[in-house]
Amino acid sequence: MEGRDESVIPASIPSGDNSVWADASPLIAAACNDLRDGELIHGENFNLFAAMSALEIMDPKMDSGMEENGFHSIEEAIEKGAAPVPLSSESTVDVQRCIDVMDHLLSCEATWHKGHSLAQTVFSCIYLLRMERTSSHPLLHSYCKIMRSTCNAVIAAVSDARTHEEEDIFVMAHGLPLQGDRDEKCLSLLNSVEETISRQLRACKAQVSRKKPSDDVGSLQTIPDLEEGFCRALLCRLRFRKHFYHALMCMRKHQGRGIELAKKHVASCLSELAFMSKSVEFLRSNGLGSCHGEIEYRTTASGKQPFGFDASLNSRLSAPTPPRAVQIVSWKQAILYFEKLMNDLDVALSLPLDPLLENILQFLVQFQKSEPHLVARAHLQLLLIQDGKLYGKDSFHAVISRAIALPEITRDQAFQENEFVVQLGQLVMNLIKILCTNNAWQRRKLGKILEDWGVVSIQLELAFRREYDEMLKVSAEENLYMKLSKHLLVWAEETTYWIASRFLLLGFQLELYSPKEYCMVYWYLYVIFVNLLEKMQLRITYSVDNSRRKGKKKQDLAKDAGFHPPTGVSSTCLLLQCYVYISEGLTMMLAALHNERPSFQISSPFNSEHERFIQHFELLQRANVPQHISYHLFKESTANVQISNVLKHNYFKEVQRIITSLRGSFARDPERLLELHRLEQVVDHNRVALGVIERVGANDASLEISFEFPYHPYFAVAVVKRS
Amino acid sequence: MEGEATDDPFRNSCPDPPDIRESHIVSESPLVSRARKLLFRRMLVGVKDGRFFTGSLHCIDKQGNIILQDAVEYRSIRRSQSPMDQRCLGLILIPAACRSSCHVDCSITDQMSLLCLNR
Repeated sequence: MEGRDESVIPASIPSGDNSVWADASPLIAAACNDLRDGELIHGENFNLFAAMSALEIMDPKMDSGMEENGFHSIEEAIEKGAAPVPLSSESTVDVQRCIDVMDHLLSCEATWHKGHSLAQTVFSCIYLLRMERTSSHPLLHSYCKIMRSTCNAVIAAVSDARTHEEEDIFVMAHGLPLQGDRDEKCLSLLNSVEETISRQLRACKAQVSRKKPSDDVGSLQTIPDLEEGFCRALLCRLRFRKHFYHALMCMRKHQGRGIELAKKHVASCLSELAFMSKSVEFLRSNGLGSCHGEIEYRTTASGKQPFGFDASLNSRLSAPTPPRAVQIVSWKQAILYFEKLMNDLDVALSLPLDPLLENILQFLVQFQKSEPHLVARAHLQLLLIQDGKLYGKDSFHAVISRAIALPEITRDQAFQENEFVVQLGQLVMNLIKILCTNNAWQRRKLGKILEDWGVVSIQLELAFRREYDEMLKVSAEENLYMKLSKHLLVWAEETTYWIASRFLLLGFQLELYSPKEYCMVYWYLYVIFVNLLEKMQLRITYSVDNSRRKGKKKQDLAKDAGFHPPTGVSSTCLLLQCYVYISEGLTMMLAALHNERPSFQISSPFNSEHERFIQHFELLQRANVPQHISYHLFKESTANVQISNVLKHNYFKEVQRIITSLRGSFARDPERLLELHRLEQVVDHNRVALGVIERVGANDASLEISFEFPYHPYFAVAVVKRS
Repeated sequence: MEGEATDDPFRNSCPDPPDIRESHIVSESPLVSRARKLLFRRMLVGVKDGRFFTGSLHCIDKQGNIILQDAVEYRSIRRSQSPMDQRCLGLILIPAACRSSCHVDCSITDQMSLLCLNR
């Protein structure tokens, strides 16, 4: 028995002192035989629930260490020739295979950005894992080096921005050889390789035109007909890497100093990506071996399997977590991904460095519309907030003083140290960070911070009252600090309502509302918009008062606040007024349908309308946004609505009137013009739908009414059909 | 052989949990109670893909599935046996179907008392 043991057990697993490994299998087999069904042998500390969380060995979904038929270690893989350097003794094949490695790495990188682990994507490349081996192959070596540096730069940006809570696997990189010495020289190496290849390209072109061999530059490979194609294919790949790395570096420059340069590099990346796409034809038709299957699913441009990749070598590095099945995206998708990333970065880089918070928030909302990827969002956030300051230069108390239009007190030490200003500064910073996270996470976080904003507003209100009382006692003169609390209060409330509106609107984008709940959502939105409008107007009045006192000319004032000349009301307020009318109109229309058509009533066996109301608006109610709003109020205000009332009030017509008058003031703002156009379509269609419903009768069973979003992401359009 | 169980330093602290359910189990097979003495001992389990796991025995069921606590995984880095790579896994379940060997860490005397089947 002893002898058999030793032949099975590896010597490197020691038993205890003075003890041996004794074979227990016969005893266990016999004991199991004697156990009754369902009986277990266990100790006192056994807990079935805890035992359920045991990692199941040899379960492909849980056991990341499972030995497949692959290699046991990187060294073994290298010994068996899985990652040869050079990739082939024949230079043409070597270049071809090198391009395949580059392409597959690009696909891996895109897969990593989309949320898979670094270990199973980019670092499934054996060349990257043992980079010193490639030093004799400048082309491969330079590419691997810049790849590693780029990964480092991306990890640094994403983890600094901390916008990746949802994408937690992204920055995990333990156990990987990420830090190499002299990585900062990756660019010079890449540049010299690029220089050599572009000389080779020039030489081969000259050869074609002059029919004269040039001896000074050795050619890239041996088949002259393919020389130009290979040179071009390599150059665009190398240049893309170079510009991408430059762009990442420039974006991290202090106080947005690298923005202009980064923008240029991003543009270059896009053009190199286009060249890469074009290289597909050449790479697939160069006749070096055949490949089957569609390029759509291949991870390389040539469609061939790349050399030197083995994802299973590394799967154990991703800790004893369930191994994830990693599907590397195809090369075509990777190109599309990087194109989108570059476009998103381009939008982020068009950041106007505007000091006004209102415009920053607007910019962020606009940026998020294209659902930008984590990498772009993280970089935007880092551009916005550096060292706890806006753009790394404006402290948040200055941002607040500008928002409340009291710039004269910014330099005042007491203002900077005012507890509310400090607190609000922190809240604004958090708000900006939250607006850079993905939509789902953003909505959850916005719901949570509402309470903080609500608390600050209450404290400000109390402080304001206290100061007001004191002022009456002490002097009749205007107290600067009372004014400050008054302005801060109005601004904090306005921002709170803005957050609440964003919270509710994101629900549409994330498809969290069912059509039967639209009525209560639009009702709540209407309430929020009305409050927001009120606070906004109040703030503008204060700032106008303030500047008037300072003797500014009236025209400057109008310019400052974005005023609309004929009515004297800010165009932003007018746009908001449109939202108020549309949400009111939709609420009333939905309420009337709810009252007149049984199919619009919520009759779920699981949760009542009241429960749904609480589910959707609990966070708002907890934060008192706004105060005294309840389900009963909603029911009260919608209970007696009929289609005829809705028509009488004609909310949608009001919107059309405002839109016509707003066109002029938004003439230079294409985004807002587009928004006006969308709103106009929503109101047009809803007016027509209302008319039809009224004519036919809301309770007519032959009418089919549904609500859709063909024109605007948040405002629905009633679609009426007759069956 | 039952006698020396009292002075066995590795003896299971509480072989029969005072569980109400188990209190009316009139008789437990001697093999089962001997297997019960393996609890909390260090086990070495080999699985079919060539890896080994050590850990303290936590539980065995009728089908022969084993749960080990504080388990460490050993695998050879090359096809040849010598260099081993190891990592900690915590609580693991080794299904009977993939188990290829099972050893317990014990002194020679224990080995006789614990594992002898012909009694």
